[in-house]
Amino acid sequence: MKEITAYKCKKCGRIHYPKHERCLNCQHREFELVHPEGKAKLLTYTQIFNLPWGFDERFLYIGVVEFENGVKAMGQIAAPDGADVHTGMLLAAEWRPVRYVSGEPVYGLKFVL
Amino acid sequence: MRDVAIIGAGMIPFGRRDQDTLVDMLAYASLKALDDAGVSAVDAVYVANMGGGILQRQTAIASALVDRVGLLPAAADLVENGPASGGSAVKNGVLAVASGYYDLVLVAGGEKMREVTGWKATDFVATLTHPETEYPYGITLPGMAGMFTRLYMEKYGVTREMLVEIAIKNQQMGALNPYAHVEMLITKEGILDSPHSVVNNPPMADPLHLYDACPVSDGAAAVILCPLDRVKELTHNVPVIVAGFGQATDTHTLAERDDPTDLKAVTLAAQQAFERAQTKPAEINVAELHDAFTILEIAESEHVGFFKKGEGGKAVLAGKTKLGGQLPINVSGGLKARGHPVGATGVAQVVELTWQLRHELPKERQVKNARAGFSINFGGFGNNVVAFVLKRGEK
Ligand SMILES: [Zn+2]
Repeated sequence: MKEITAYKCKKCGRIHYPKHERCLNCQHREFELVHPEGKAKLLTYTQIFNLPWGFDERFLYIGVVEFENGVKAMGQIAAPDGADVHTGMLLAAEWRPVRYVSGEPVYGLKFVL
Repeated sequence: MRDVAIIGAGMIPFGRRDQDTLVDMLAYASLKALDDAGVSAVDAVYVANMGGGILQRQTAIASALVDRVGLLPAAADLVENGPASGGSAVKNGVLAVASGYYDLVLVAGGEKMREVTGWKATDFVATLTHPETEYPYGITLPGMAGMFTRLYMEKYGVTREMLVEIAIKNQQMGALNPYAHVEMLITKEGILDSPHSVVNNPPMADPLHLYDACPVSDGAAAVILCPLDRVKELTHNVPVIVAGFGQATDTHTLAERDDPTDLKAVTLAAQQAFERAQTKPAEINVAELHDAFTILEIAESEHVGFFKKGEGGKAVLAGKTKLGGQLPINVSGGLKARGHPVGATGVAQVVELTWQLRHELPKERQVKNARAGFSINFGGFGNNVVAFVLKRGEK
């Protein structure tokens, strides 16, 4: 998943996404660039029915995952209404349009069952 | 540092106020606070507002307010700190008086959210999320709360019945509060236990339902602050002492918290406020917690030390947080029923506690002999939190 860059502290190893100028754990300023790897484990999620302006869908599943190398991120889950979505499940991550602004796609993380 | 007292408090009824502009509402609440204190001028004004620039396309709102209310040439600042703007503005006013730089300070908080559609109001509040790693996905504050609730339920055994009980309790109190947005009574059957509940109370951000959320409101609230040693010459009111405040921050994104169920900023802000006030959670008689979602009333009551983790929901079911219980929480109706005009909320909590500590509310809403009050104003999804400990002073 080269589209996402995370930042691993060169001193304490804490992984950050998004970017911070200093490590949230030890304030070190040097980071190794890493990309999410492997399956994404679903840490928590919700099915949102009252969407903000800019979305035409009736609902969206949104969740937070942890990849096998420790990178954590939010993204949309591609699932139909009533799908078996549960915490702890393993998902595949894809880079796909997550919304459209003036007809133009905005790309982001899409997790598929 | 000088001790700081609240000598005036004012609020206008929250709800849908199509006839009023944002500055109208701030001005009405400010006048009520000035008149309540019995003062005609102030040295400085702090205005809390989150959305004027986005929703009304109006900026420099503090300058507009002092002009409108005839408070020129008082110093005037706008404080924008998301849904914690109100608490932040009160804090800045307290610091200004405590430092000795200003003697009389007006703090006014207001928000006008109902002139846009629900979609746009939801989008406006969502602009506080991370602009690259959260906002583009369509995450909303109810969505954040839904993800938090799922984990909190799994870890601490919070049930939907506990959440429903908070909605019922706070709407019951709201029905007695003339300043509340929602004055409708609800029943457990209506929103949880009957076939109709599916229609009445649909999921909003699973596992949260419609009645777990506060309404979108217009409203404003204001207080007047002065040094404690000048109270007698300035006002006839019983002073309410700002015994302590605390403020703390946490990660911008939910994903970067080691344990997303741990609201660290709530714990730290409360600890600071209690320490400064040399007060223990058990000494508090009345609390205003930031129940933008029902789950937050439980989670905050545990994080600040009123109840152990996992016990807050049980306390609600046992009636301990009702008026007349061990610790009445959100006797105002809370955000759930009073409403949540975001910039106004933190100030409205302080206004409510001031009234409680002055013992001037009608019997059906007054906490008997209340001497110490506590508030939590919860910004972002817990990434910026302000807490206050207030105490009844001597007249
Ligand atoms: Zn580090």
